[in-house]
Amino acid sequence: MDLRITDDQAALAAGVRAFFEAELPSSRLRKRTEGGADDSALWHAYVAMGLTGLCAPERLGGLGMGALEAALVAIECGRACAPGALVDTGLTAAPLLAARGEDALTAAIARGDAIVALAHARNPWIADLDGATMVLGAGETGLAPRDAALFDAVAASAGIDPNRRLFAFAGGRDDAALLDRRALMAAAELLGLAEAMVDQACAYARTRTQFGQPIGGFQAIKHALATIKVAVDFARPVVLRAARALDLAAPNAPLCISHAKIAAGDAAWAAAETAIQVHGAMGYTYEVDLHFWMKRTWALVGAWGDRAFHLDRIDETLFSGAAPIGPTRTFG
Amino acid sequence: MRSSKPAAPRSIDPEPGVISAFTKEQDAFREEVRVWMRAHVPERPLETLEGPQGFEQHVAWERTLASGRWGMVTWPEEYGGRGLDLIRWLIFEEEYWAAGAPARANQNGVFLLGPTIMEYGAAEQKARFLGPMARGEVICAQAWSEPGAGSDMAAITSKARRDGDHYVLSGQKTWSSRAAYADWAFGLFRSDPASSRHRGLTFLLFDLSSPGVTRRPIRQLHGETGFAEIFFDDVRVPIENRIGGEGEGWSIAMATAGFERGLMLRSPGRFQATAARLVGLWRASSPSAQAATKDAVRAAWMSSQAYAYATYEIAQRIMAGGKIGAEASVNKIFWSEMDRAMHRAAMHLQGASAELSRTGAGDANAWLDGYVFSLSGPIYAGSNEIQRNIVAERLLDLPRVGAG
Repeated sequence: MDLRITDDQAALAAGVRAFFEAELPSSRLRKRTEGGADDSALWHAYVAMGLTGLCAPERLGGLGMGALEAALVAIECGRACAPGALVDTGLTAAPLLAARGEDALTAAIARGDAIVALAHARNPWIADLDGATMVLGAGETGLAPRDAALFDAVAASAGIDPNRRLFAFAGGRDDAALLDRRALMAAAELLGLAEAMVDQACAYARTRTQFGQPIGGFQAIKHALATIKVAVDFARPVVLRAARALDLAAPNAPLCISHAKIAAGDAAWAAAETAIQVHGAMGYTYEVDLHFWMKRTWALVGAWGDRAFHLDRIDETLFSGAAPIGPTRTFG
Repeated sequence: MRSSKPAAPRSIDPEPGVISAFTKEQDAFREEVRVWMRAHVPERPLETLEGPQGFEQHVAWERTLASGRWGMVTWPEEYGGRGLDLIRWLIFEEEYWAAGAPARANQNGVFLLGPTIMEYGAAEQKARFLGPMARGEVICAQAWSEPGAGSDMAAITSKARRDGDHYVLSGQKTWSSRAAYADWAFGLFRSDPASSRHRGLTFLLFDLSSPGVTRRPIRQLHGETGFAEIFFDDVRVPIENRIGGEGEGWSIAMATAGFERGLMLRSPGRFQATAARLVGLWRASSPSAQAATKDAVRAAWMSSQAYAYATYEIAQRIMAGGKIGAEASVNKIFWSEMDRAMHRAAMHLQGASAELSRTGAGDANAWLDGYVFSLSGPIYAGSNEIQRNIVAERLLDLPRVGAG
């Protein structure tokens, strides 16, 4: 079990990060929240980079990559606070649809001609339903066209995250594979969000001066940020381990995914609280970007299996004595 | 399991569905360690390593380990090791802690000094020290801190005056772990009297039975003498006991600190074993005690697993030629605070019985002993406050203020 990221995987992540830095600055996120969402240019760029088909089989025009590569891309989506459709459609729906034999729809995703929203019994909403053409996890077969009668009465409501439109919906199916896959991607996004919030707080602490020096020189600030750095750095291997477990179809993959969601979610939540504290009153303004990342964090911690759900799943294994634990069972 | 197996073949992982994460050869090695440990690990726990009888028992265990060539598996065979890679070292450690084997009397020698000599020592120093350490014949203590140089280690004032082919040591070291009973020690001394801070320091090994060395054991809060003061009254140390060049001690010591904080001193197996015992204790506890500690017990398991994943990844990076730098400080903060939290949870689980749980032995279920020991983790090897400064300044690029 080699837990290192390969050069190709590192290059993929770096490429996506560079893309987001160039194409999705916070000014664009702001414009998106104020002027209504038109993500078509962004979507075309995803398609050009192969991201919508990242996890679609090569025979359907995709790149055939696994959950680990998907997680690395989702980390970058989190870091950029990118709108969720790429994670829902390209990183989550495409491989699941391919496994269901939905070749035409999978190929359409890879080509950029289909956007798939996700419904699940654990979520009382569907995110970004308005931009989607299909919904996975809804309807009798678990796959329904967006304009089906099923969704006629569904109206958008304001969630906390201004870059994520929610459509109240109670009819999602309890699809275990969908939950695991999307929960893993959410964990990866949370890791990226956490890293970004630490970066934002450090950047502020380097430039904001009080008492004649940058506040980042004070140990009260240094130690708070170092503490978050430790939590974030030790969430990363858990997220990547869970991705590998999913790729390997390991029997303990659901346990690993729940661990990842908790580790990354707790790290991101703590990063948000530390980051706003380091920013002081500036952090409480709409003007500073931090709140977009905080709001996405709060949303994702509750989504795709909330904290209680994932803790329960860990507890069922850990406390029942059903699964062996200890030094010789690092990988299950 | 689920539907999302990768379409492309992947060379770095086992086949989908294969549970073992290890190669056949690695699994065979694991079995070899397991069989040996089963046959040799003492049935009854040894007395505490911090007292004289227990120390002797632990030294005897070091020699038993050495008889199986398990003293330090990563060292070359010529020095008593097996020349194994870091993954096999991790497997060895997993089996070691799973077997309930004793703490290592020579951990500072084999895990801290050993890698330093391997990297900076001359050939004759390697021959002279590494074999005896791996064989448990020489137990080494570290001697960094002084009364005026704790977290601020560059404030060292103990002197090493050059006199022909010897250094003459004077001054005092303190908090020297194992020095009460060890054979040798290593530390930094100021060889250039005109120097200050981290310049002009030299890394020396010295025999604790040398004339002029006085050891004064310090009674620790639990009553035992796990560390000591060392006084130097014109102690003559031959120059061949110097590691690296004169005045180069600081950078060599920093490398030692990296081994200690980073990878070698605390392998994940130790914490995974503690977490597994803690879960066992939880399962045997009353429902109200379970409810009060469930979060902490779960966190213990999660943290120990996270530490294991991280350590495998770092080991693989080092095997591929990478280095571990300031991230060693991230690790040290994590494992030391994890260890304290796990033992705190055990104390809370035991409630009113917790104060009775001390046995005075190195018993793995002596949770009170373990808790008391865990309180030293965030202090030794560079306090966690110093580690947080290092993380902030070197990894987060925050301004350095007031540090020398």
